[in-house]
Amino acid sequence: MGRSRISVIAAMLAAASLLTAGCGQGLLDGGSNSGGDEGPITLGMLIPQSGSEAAIGPYMKNAAQLAVDEINGKGGVLGRKLELKVADDACDAQTAVAGANKLVTEGIKVSVGGYCSGATLPTLPVFGKANIPMIIPAANSQELVDQHLKHVFLINGTGTQQATAAMAWMTKQGATSVALVHDNTSYSKDIAVRTQKLLDEAGGPETAILEAVTPKESDYSANIHNILAKKPDFVYWTGYFQEGGLIIRQLRQAGYKGSVMVGDGAVSEKLAEIAGGDAAEGVYATMTQTPETLQGAEAWIAAYKKKFNADPGPYSNQAYDGVRLAAEAITKAGSTDGDKVIAALEAVDGFPMFSGPLKFTADHTLSTGGFQILVVKSGKFALQDALK
Amino acid sequence: MAQLIWNGLFVGSFYALVALGYSMVYGIMKLLNFAHGDIYMLGAFTGFAILGAVGGVSPGMALPVLLGVLVVTMGVTGLSGVVLERVAYRPLRSAPRLSLLITAVGASFALEYGMRAAAGADPRVYPLRLGGTTVELLGARITLQQVALIIVAIALMAGLNVLVTRTREGRAMRAIALDPRTAALMGINVNAVISRTFFLGSALAGAAGVMAGAYYGKVDFLMGFLIGLKAFTSAVIGGIGNITGTMLGGLLLGLLESFGTYWLGGEWRDVFAFGVLILFLTVRPTGLLGERVTERV
Repeated sequence: MGRSRISVIAAMLAAASLLTAGCGQGLLDGGSNSGGDEGPITLGMLIPQSGSEAAIGPYMKNAAQLAVDEINGKGGVLGRKLELKVADDACDAQTAVAGANKLVTEGIKVSVGGYCSGATLPTLPVFGKANIPMIIPAANSQELVDQHLKHVFLINGTGTQQATAAMAWMTKQGATSVALVHDNTSYSKDIAVRTQKLLDEAGGPETAILEAVTPKESDYSANIHNILAKKPDFVYWTGYFQEGGLIIRQLRQAGYKGSVMVGDGAVSEKLAEIAGGDAAEGVYATMTQTPETLQGAEAWIAAYKKKFNADPGPYSNQAYDGVRLAAEAITKAGSTDGDKVIAALEAVDGFPMFSGPLKFTADHTLSTGGFQILVVKSGKFALQDALK
Repeated sequence: MAQLIWNGLFVGSFYALVALGYSMVYGIMKLLNFAHGDIYMLGAFTGFAILGAVGGVSPGMALPVLLGVLVVTMGVTGLSGVVLERVAYRPLRSAPRLSLLITAVGASFALEYGMRAAAGADPRVYPLRLGGTTVELLGARITLQQVALIIVAIALMAGLNVLVTRTREGRAMRAIALDPRTAALMGINVNAVISRTFFLGSALAGAAGVMAGAYYGKVDFLMGFLIGLKAFTSAVIGGIGNITGTMLGGLLLGLLESFGTYWLGGEWRDVFAFGVLILFLTVRPTGLLGERVTERV
């Protein structure tokens, strides 16, 4: 008796919650269809605020907030204010999906986040089901592109483009035997494997070894032993800066004298600091535009510093552009309806961004990756070659 | 070959130092203290803070200064271990095992994210680092700093072993491990002995944290997680609760990882190391030296 009563109550509660959920849905739909002035238009941003990549979160969040404030200062979008909602993905697939669901229930209209490819991948269907366009500022694994989802747009260069840039620089440097080192995450392995494919084509440098390390450890001596046994003259690390700094230090300690290059996830002043002394001097990096290498961005950097009392960092510029692009697309679409915004994004032609005028390819990626080669000079990354 | 063995032993000695704390606490109160890896992290940050406060040190003084920092840090982390036990574990001592386990996981998160709140998510870099004067020995490249660290590790472990097997305090620990109630009836202050066990284990983990910070250079708030798991594994291979076994377990895991990487590549290292472990434990579930119950701590 007691049990059946409980189940009746549970059923009633469930029905009630369904009803309210249905109502909420209806209200939201009405709001977005009329495109009326029902409070602010919310943009959602999934970025790592905890976990191993937590350091990157503030750079992206602050820059996005800066763009939101600037746009609101000019009257907002469609006569409504923009609002930024941030959720933590901890660079972890499960946390990211939970965060994405939270953002969807909060009624965001466009997603402007995504740093770790491994955490961004599983959120694609979550936003896709809710028909929310995604402008991904940083995550750039080719796997994000290969699904050919119509709501996914990448405004960072892709893994393929980065591998091509790496290949061009290694050839230019006269490397003969290249060790590719990755950390087994989607992003990192993607670049390493794509570079390997390019190396395996006839001519130019050859692959010495494709080595995977376990991220978040301190001691990589066993991996370095493997790498050095193949006697490479060029090492390309495609993971993040924490392990990158340790690997560079331990390579030098083990007596490696050749060139080292890192991918865009490792571009941070901490890399040289972790490597210690001058171990990282002369290390190259494949990287898209950063605040330091941007030309004509002094005013923007000054505005960022003034507002947050800190320097912008990696992916600040992409996060800033992502929000501006979202605002542009909503304005052009004249509505926050997902399909209309997607159509507007596809139609964007020549929208000015830090990486140059934007026009998406059929794959919803940048037509040129904009990758350039940086080099560490007295502990800081400076432009070495624009690969133009 | 010599290089592989040396690399394995060097990493293994870190595992062993951290594993001892796991093993002693498990031996004495059958608790898997999952916050132990984070005490290692706490040690690394304590050392970082002290070195920051000390300021610039000339390279010649690096080793003596680090030894001083090591001792102070051991005291700090030892006391943190005692506080952890008092706050998180003692009130639950008569509760079901699962509650203790969950509390341990909770304590681990509290330490990790507490440190993140205090020191930030960005990794920190030690101001004082052990650089590399390299020596070739039997075909292996060895730095004198590595030798110094291994000597410190061995000295600490030997000291602990003497303490546990030769002193009154050690006898009390072993008695509680065998039977806490009888030990209490014989006039042993069980709470005090458990506190001291936590102090010792946490001090060793703190020492390992400072050594890792000074050698590898980078410290961050999640650095204790992975080594905590590895140390736990080492303790199980060696025979959890047995001190000599735990030390051997740490070294063995280091060697397995080193050779696994060499034979199968970095991608397969953990598959190899942990596959061997599973095989080993099916043959010897008690671990290397696990059956010598009389020596349990």
